[in-house]
Amino acid sequence: MRLARAVSEAALATEGVYSLGTGRYVEAATYGPGEKVTGVVVGPDEVRVHIVVRYPLPEPIPALAERVRERAASRAGGRVTTVVVEDLEVVRDENL
Amino acid sequence: MRIFNRIVVILLLAGLVYLGIATIVYIFELGPYQLADLPNTLGFSALYEGLNGYLGNIESGNVDALDVIVLSAIALLGLVLLILELNPPTPQRVRMQRGTYITRRAVEREVSPVVEQEPEVLQSNVKVKAQRKSGAKVQVRAGIRPGEDARSVQSEVQSRVQQHMAETGIPVSNLKVRVNESDPRQTNTRVK
Repeated sequence: MRLARAVSEAALATEGVYSLGTGRYVEAATYGPGEKVTGVVVGPDEVRVHIVVRYPLPEPIPALAERVRERAASRAGGRVTTVVVEDLEVVRDENL
Repeated sequence: MRIFNRIVVILLLAGLVYLGIATIVYIFELGPYQLADLPNTLGFSALYEGLNGYLGNIESGNVDALDVIVLSAIALLGLVLLILELNPPTPQRVRMQRGTYITRRAVEREVSPVVEQEPEVLQSNVKVKAQRKSGAKVQVRAGIRPGEDARSVQSEVQSRVQQHMAETGIPVSNLKVRVNESDPRQTNTRVK
């Protein structure tokens, strides 16, 4: 759970990430006693991070996903890390 | 193939359930059912005799044209199913780079508004397929009014989508745009 939380925080701290995704057909989450971390699936050899990207984009989506993957991988304890862009969320400019 | 496999497994399991229930009923000889009658009730003996006779005819070379066609069709069907089964399933998500993916739905949601930005397009339908290699296969179907220049709309939509995908960085390995005339009374948008 600690690893899932660390990966979740790393992903959310990346510029351009709006939120973590929840999965579509199967909930993307890591379950612990009395709590769950949504958007991060920790397996024995793999960590999968589901993200929702903020729109307008600060950089192209593959570059953003790669940056999230690098940040998440550094906290994934040597597990293979994959990033899934689940959706794009349009964020209104507060200055308008 | 997954749906076909599920249908086959469902039929197989339904048959096994039927056999199991019948066996229990006959083992405990519930009501008028006797264990000795089970093969006859299930029709195994008739099936065995029919199959035996049929195979005997084939072995003796007594095969008519219809049998040859049916047996060839079965062999061909088996070969096709084997090839389909050996063919690895198409991935569910679009691969961008190593270790990074985007869902098909997200790609659809990116393409669809771009297509509908085109003033002549009254409605659109976008289908995205993931491929084993990097990049998505995108099929766009755009509906326009009868009498509009379909070719120019098609090239316009194609360039718009390509440009937008290049801006967002979503890799598209194959983009197909089809434009067809639609009745404005039946489209999502009548006037733009």
